[in-house]
Amino acid sequence: MVAGCGCAACGIGNARLLDFDLSAVEIASRTWAVLGRTDYFDMENGGNIVNVAFIEVPDGVVVIDTGPSKRYGDALRSLIERTVPGKPILRVYNTHHHPDHFLGNQSFDAELIAAPQAVIDNITLEGDGFADNMYRLLGDWMRGTLPQAPTIALDAAKESVGGRDFSLFYLAGHTSSDFVIRDDSTGVLFAGDLAFLYRAPTTPHADMPQWRQSLDTLASIDKALLLPGHGPSDAKDESLTQTGDYLDWLHGTLSDAVGSGLTMNEAMLLPIPARFEGLGVVRTEYERSVVHLYPALEDSLFPVIEVTQ
Amino acid sequence: MLRILVLIVAVMGIANVQARTLPADPLESVMWQYMAERFMPEGEIVFDDKVIVMAPLSAENQFHVPITVDATALDDVQEIIAIADLNPIPLVLSVRPKEALSYVGFRLKLQQTSPIHVGVRTGDGVWHVSGAIVDAAGGGCTAPAAAHGESNWMQTLGETRAYAGRETLSNARMTLRMRHPMDTGLAAGIPAFYMNELVVKDDAGQVVAEIDMYEPVSENPTLTLKPKVGSEETVLHVSTRDTEGNTFDFPLTVPASARL
Repeated sequence: MVAGCGCAACGIGNARLLDFDLSAVEIASRTWAVLGRTDYFDMENGGNIVNVAFIEVPDGVVVIDTGPSKRYGDALRSLIERTVPGKPILRVYNTHHHPDHFLGNQSFDAELIAAPQAVIDNITLEGDGFADNMYRLLGDWMRGTLPQAPTIALDAAKESVGGRDFSLFYLAGHTSSDFVIRDDSTGVLFAGDLAFLYRAPTTPHADMPQWRQSLDTLASIDKALLLPGHGPSDAKDESLTQTGDYLDWLHGTLSDAVGSGLTMNEAMLLPIPARFEGLGVVRTEYERSVVHLYPALEDSLFPVIEVTQ
Repeated sequence: MLRILVLIVAVMGIANVQARTLPADPLESVMWQYMAERFMPEGEIVFDDKVIVMAPLSAENQFHVPITVDATALDDVQEIIAIADLNPIPLVLSVRPKEALSYVGFRLKLQQTSPIHVGVRTGDGVWHVSGAIVDAAGGGCTAPAAAHGESNWMQTLGETRAYAGRETLSNARMTLRMRHPMDTGLAAGIPAFYMNELVVKDDAGQVVAEIDMYEPVSENPTLTLKPKVGSEETVLHVSTRDTEGNTFDFPLTVPASARL
């Protein structure tokens, strides 16, 4: 029993090097995206389902999100060193507290990692639980990963890093704190998970009205290109339209389902419109969303009944 | 010597007559035999596709795993039980749908990935069984209820929201959502405290459905039933009781059929 634990990733008999083959796509001048697959976490993708990015600024490198694990963070760091040799990393931003966006923080100097205070608080509160669950989903891919909260709390509207100006936007809706960064020189907007493209939005901490409002804010921001948290880079705000369309449908469908007394299981069977078929893992994410969103909808839509005690 | 042998053979023969042949579990639960002996101790057991068990493949939230059971394809259903084999407390609930369709929706806590077995006992004593395996993160039964993070949970105990609508001319659909921590007794320092009885009666006082709930039913129990009703507006009366003897009673109006 000792010699082979049976799982594909760690048996001695079928040892396989768990290695992310990360590659950087230059989406704007000296700006690279590392695009994850539009899947859900599994043993095969090792959690590489998220977009992270890095930018060469005059005096160094700025990193946006760090991926799902220490192993990913190390691979990202090495990719940055290969792509922008000899330049120091000056700043690492975390867009929000979901595990695929910050669990690579350990690979970077903690003193350089920055986020709004609410993101830091969320990571502090929920980071351990996320890490536990990621170990369950990804096994040895997660080895050595521990949550590392950002040490710099941001609240300014602008920050200059290494000779480059960034505009900082403090939004919410996908989670209670969603941080959006614009490179004022290239006009690339790093939207985090407020925007998804060709990948179904996730809702474990969603506040639908807030999210809708944040999409309007993102649409109104001057930009040349938008990098969503999941899916390809987007020059036409298609990610904002698609995410909004899906969220509106999701909210309406689940409100109707709760309003007619359907159980969660029955709601999970409802049809998904054909226009969302191209969204990666849409059925899985829809089913997850039923569990996320149903209780609050029940609490708001069911009338209160007077109880005799 | 021969007489003893004959006696032994005879005793074994009697034992064989009494023992049930337990069908192999399609879910291959390591606990199947024990679950069957403990919770379905008498009567024939058959795995039966007429019992529809709706469950997610993976529990998004191990504290609230939705399960819907539809056994309306079976006649003369006396009781529906749900068991989470690998929970520290396996029995989730027992429903006796007297004047309701053989159907129930509920949510349960899972301590780990587990087979869920649903047994439906018909009037002839046969258990019709089906189930599903639900993948889950650990700890659903041993963490404190979310209510204990609030200072006023005692004040909101028993607060109820409900839906009552008509599904057909002859049956209603009702979903009850009642505030209760449903403490399992397995979280450190918090004794067991849960709603354990729910009875639905019609306006004439006749029992429509009875539910015995156990520790694994999720916090703020959310239950869906399908009572049989006439086409006119009618009032159902729900009475619940918890393990401390608190009772919560409320009426629920089912609207008249639109076709009246």
